[in-house]
Amino acid sequence: MNSNDDEITERLTRVFRSVFREPDLIIQPEMTSADVENWDSLSHINLVAAVEKEFKIRFTTSEIMELKNVGDLDGIVHQKTRS
Amino acid sequence: MLTSSFPELDYSDLIACDLPDPGTLSRTLRIALLSDAATQQFVPILTTLLARAAIRAQIYEGGFDAIEIEAYNPDSGLYRFDPEVVIILNCVQALRSRFGTRKNSPDQFVNESLNRVTGVWKQLQTHSQAAIIQSTFALPYERTFGNLDLKVPQSFYAIVSSLNMRIAEAARDRPGVLINDVEYVASWTGKRFFFDDRYWDLWKSFCALEHLPRVVQNIVDILVAQFGRSVKCVICDLDNTMWGGVIGDDGVDGIKLNAHGEGEAFYRLQLFLKELRRRGILLAVCSKNEESNAKAPFLEHPDCILKLSDFVAFVANWNDKTSNIQAIQQELNIGLDSMVLLDDNPFERNLVRATVPDILVPELPDDPSEYVRFLSELNLLEVSSFSAEDLERSDLYTREAERRQAAAGYGCVEDFMRSLNMVLEIAKFDEFHLRRIAQLFQRSNQFNLTTQRHTEAACRSMMRSPELIPLYAKLSDRLGKHGLIAIVVLEVTGSDLAIRDWLMSCRVLARGVEQQMMNQVFAIARKLKVSRVIGEYIPTTKNGMVRDFFAKFGFQPIPEQGYEQGITRWQHEPAHYLEQPTYITTEMRFGEKE
Repeated sequence: MNSNDDEITERLTRVFRSVFREPDLIIQPEMTSADVENWDSLSHINLVAAVEKEFKIRFTTSEIMELKNVGDLDGIVHQKTRS
Repeated sequence: MLTSSFPELDYSDLIACDLPDPGTLSRTLRIALLSDAATQQFVPILTTLLARAAIRAQIYEGGFDAIEIEAYNPDSGLYRFDPEVVIILNCVQALRSRFGTRKNSPDQFVNESLNRVTGVWKQLQTHSQAAIIQSTFALPYERTFGNLDLKVPQSFYAIVSSLNMRIAEAARDRPGVLINDVEYVASWTGKRFFFDDRYWDLWKSFCALEHLPRVVQNIVDILVAQFGRSVKCVICDLDNTMWGGVIGDDGVDGIKLNAHGEGEAFYRLQLFLKELRRRGILLAVCSKNEESNAKAPFLEHPDCILKLSDFVAFVANWNDKTSNIQAIQQELNIGLDSMVLLDDNPFERNLVRATVPDILVPELPDDPSEYVRFLSELNLLEVSSFSAEDLERSDLYTREAERRQAAAGYGCVEDFMRSLNMVLEIAKFDEFHLRRIAQLFQRSNQFNLTTQRHTEAACRSMMRSPELIPLYAKLSDRLGKHGLIAIVVLEVTGSDLAIRDWLMSCRVLARGVEQQMMNQVFAIARKLKVSRVIGEYIPTTKNGMVRDFFAKFGFQPIPEQGYEQGITRWQHEPAHYLEQPTYITTEMRFGEKE
């Protein structure tokens, strides 16, 4: 992990904490909606919107569809912020 | 919403913020949401934005795309919820699918779509008392004919434009249907930002989430105007608000006010205010200035759009703005919470905010060229209805102001009264005026001898009673019409003519109306050959001004025991009545048959 990775994870954590209203939430790559109490269909939409806003990126429809866990999300953010 | 600064409308902030304590919210509103888009995201935003307006929302979400199912079934969850408001959000995305798979002509498609919308209204109004807030359709971004789209009636763009217009027209005849102009919000935001097709495809979101709060705020504005306050009067500062520069220093030739360059910002604000005045909003001036200086531009400046006659109150002096605004408020007799102050000076704005409760004092941008856009974005002027009465009200106040100005120019009151050419039209109650008559019975407190609150139905039955002579009077003069301003109900009982009710609007005091009416009462008494005219005064906390009403006309008190507290009864013989001098001509319209 380089400092860029740390920064992305930190910002992603902030977004998760705000959207799911859990100030102490620690995110893990294998974490899914089943692991977070407030992660329902409504907040999932809000999560996608908040991540897009935070990193000024735009997911494609299929990227959103294929998100399985936090690791997938983190991967796409890395890929889209690299260029 | 009626706030003095831009409401914070950030989507993520709004869904993350905690709701205020329900105890601090003054009113609860039961709201049903029906949409052919998903409504889940609307609920927290609507709840939060309404809480800012001190309204607690109880929200019923109809099933997804179940507008008709909810509306047409009298046993639906919607009706069991018993909403006070039904918000219908039709989205252009759903319309697009139907348009694409249509089997009929574009014309038929518009009619069919309109009928779907109005059919739902009819059902809702049959099964419920709820107000209906109907959305317009955001115009689509795609163009199949390019610029020709608007010219070609079968293009989707032209269809949606036409449908919006037809919905608005249909709503005109239905006071219970209000329009939530989503198309305005969408075009204000910009179409390419407003829509997010991914969110529609995946989750049937109404629009891009970040713009959802503005759609919701638009609804909140409507609800606040319908169930809370609305603006009736705009009070304006002058220097650097109504024109650039300081009139006392720069003079009429030196101020910036014209149709090009730096002065155009002020010119444009005046055009906007003029439209508000035409709409029935009262305009007033409150300025720290010499009065003659303050008035000069309105009289002499060639590019000054507003004229002195556009203002219902014009206060220019060196007193503090707080007392001046309170004076204006008392003169107009409308609530402070229905007044807005426009002032470029931050000191004055803060002073007034701190000292005049409830008045709205919006911030103004530093650059006057942004004034009108800024005020439009605040949407201070939302109203839920508009009628001819609104226009009349503004004219009425203006004529009253002219009357005062005219009075100042005459040597004595008598000369002025004579110059008014007042005509009093007296007639028996008729169906056409019943509503206004009942309204006057309900509202008149001060000039009201017996304060009987007769309803419209009671007034109607008076028309049929053979013993009663129920009269109303309308006053007009050279400067305009005052409308129906007085009611006198007479009753023939044996050899007496009794005055059962006598009430007048305080707008027309001190003009001889009551004297002229009394002359007519005695004319009737002589015609009927009664021996006495009798009357009664029932005191209330508000009608002290007419305590001596009968005595002034020479009535004698009837000495009787056992009257309830303060009630006095009076009598007068027609032969001894002295005709009262007035400056009013009377037109009687109550022959045996109208």
